[in-house]
Amino acid sequence: MRRFESHRLRQTVLRMAYAGSSVHIACAFSLIEILAVLYRSHMHLGDATPRAPGRDYLVLSKGHGVMAQYACMRELGWLNDWHIDNYFHDGTLLKGLSDAHVPGLEVTSGSLGHGLSVGVGLALAAKRQGTGQRCFAIVGDGEMNEGSIWEALLFAAHFQLSNLVVIVDANKFQALGRTQEVMRLDSIVHKLTAFGLEAYEVDGHDESAIDETLSHIAASTSNAPRALVAHTVKGKGVSFMENDNRWHYSRLTASAYHGALRELKTIRRAGGVSLLMTKPCHQGAYAPRSPNLSMDV
Amino acid sequence: MRNAFAKALIHAAQADERVVLLTGDHGYSLLDEFRQVCPHQYINAGVAEQNMVGVAAGLAKAGLRPVVYGLSAFVPMRVLEQIKLDVCNERLPVVFIGDGAGVVYSTLGASHQCTEDVAALRALPHMAILSPADTWEMTACMELAFVAQGPVYVRMGKSDLGTVHSRRPDVAWGEPILLRNGHGPLAWIATGSMVPTTLRVALHWPGSAVWSAPCLKPLHPGPIVSIGRRYGAIITLEEHSIHGGLGSAVAEIATSHAPTWVCRIGIPDRFSRGCGSYQYLLAEHELDDEAITRKVRGFVDDLPGNVMQKPSLMAMQQVA
Repeated sequence: MRRFESHRLRQTVLRMAYAGSSVHIACAFSLIEILAVLYRSHMHLGDATPRAPGRDYLVLSKGHGVMAQYACMRELGWLNDWHIDNYFHDGTLLKGLSDAHVPGLEVTSGSLGHGLSVGVGLALAAKRQGTGQRCFAIVGDGEMNEGSIWEALLFAAHFQLSNLVVIVDANKFQALGRTQEVMRLDSIVHKLTAFGLEAYEVDGHDESAIDETLSHIAASTSNAPRALVAHTVKGKGVSFMENDNRWHYSRLTASAYHGALRELKTIRRAGGVSLLMTKPCHQGAYAPRSPNLSMDV
Repeated sequence: MRNAFAKALIHAAQADERVVLLTGDHGYSLLDEFRQVCPHQYINAGVAEQNMVGVAAGLAKAGLRPVVYGLSAFVPMRVLEQIKLDVCNERLPVVFIGDGAGVVYSTLGASHQCTEDVAALRALPHMAILSPADTWEMTACMELAFVAQGPVYVRMGKSDLGTVHSRRPDVAWGEPILLRNGHGPLAWIATGSMVPTTLRVALHWPGSAVWSAPCLKPLHPGPIVSIGRRYGAIITLEEHSIHGGLGSAVAEIATSHAPTWVCRIGIPDRFSRGCGSYQYLLAEHELDDEAITRKVRGFVDDLPGNVMQKPSLMAMQQVA
């Protein structure tokens, strides 16, 4: 069985969300392929225990997507079905936002704009100690409203944290609307480049493109911190959730749960390719960039 | 006192290469020697305090011993949520230095004055708070801070108001230090910059006992309870709001364990009005010797007569 298959990760998220009557399903769905590729091929996991010495760090600064990370932790055997099916039950460990007390999660986030700075500190410590560890910090495009994100980016570039990879889950939505309408961001990759990062962009649901770009990033010898803007679809994978921001907040009814599950199982039978009509990714003039077309100028 | 801080910091950094100093572009001249002696352990994080605290948390998670230096108006006030979530939540060993606490930046106004830091931090789980009164206490507090298992805030005034100890005292977590013994009826507990003032003012009441409280959190109930039982009334003094600081901490313990009269002297619930010297501003907030004497006199006058006339039985036993 191939690990970290996206349809299975999404099914795990659905199971959790249904068991716990949890919100933030769409925030997790935009992240699935990014996490799958990171865990499968790019994170150095040491002895594969959650707190392995020398591990690469995966910092989920957009803590709202934490169910996607739980789903990956289940694949790793760090969580089991009991955790999934008892999500949010009284006295359990797993919360609705990333919490560093959970082995496998590196930061406590959900108050936005925190995790990236902690990730910058982890990357700085690794540089100072010469451990070779890398830090992958995932921020949301909505999270980039926070001033501390830009403080962290300035710092990372100034201190040449080339072992830091900032991944933007650009799903084009934030809590109350489209990111472009709430607080216009325009080109994230241009802004990151202007801040001194070696920035790339990619279709955040195309695993081979993500994989290829991360490999390119790893091979680069520049001193700049790296950034990968992953253009994603909020709610990706379930037709009625895609680009429908109500799924930032909505809880699953029985019929929505079974309907969503049925769709994901259909995808599985089709060999990972969605047969369902999906809404357009976003309106902007975005063209996926091949890895060798770096925005580095 | 700031020199004692700078020396202690250099000493700690030379003894332990995990010590890293982060400053938010503050510390002109104060940190120059550190920079020269330990250049690789010095990080100017720029005028970006929120990120600085998050970075410190990351460094601490990776096993380093970060010290975050700032003016108390910014560290901890501007970064309170980062301290709560990134540092306290995981009980990370980060030392925060809040310089210029109180109203010592008397000409700079509300942005640089800070009379709420202790109140804010007392409510954060795992956070310890130290508030040294002189160079001796500062040196001892810095040593305590570096052996702590979790986050510590060291509150530092900017003005040197003289020493209250003649040699290095034993500073222990949660314990006030007795500076002047007396059989009562008044017990005075002061912290930081108000300790020298208290030693002077308390002379107006013969028999006064005076403590310095360099450790504001934890503040163990035991010593406060025994003071409350032995003396007729407790006067607390701090260059901090009367809400949430030393006075509140003492009153909380007293009401729970040993009900007694507590007079809280500190900054009233307002911002500074005027501009002027440090002494001027202390007087504006009625923290000069004269105003404190007047306040305590009023407090004492309002006490039931038996409190002042009769030292408690236990106090008499102590004296005997």
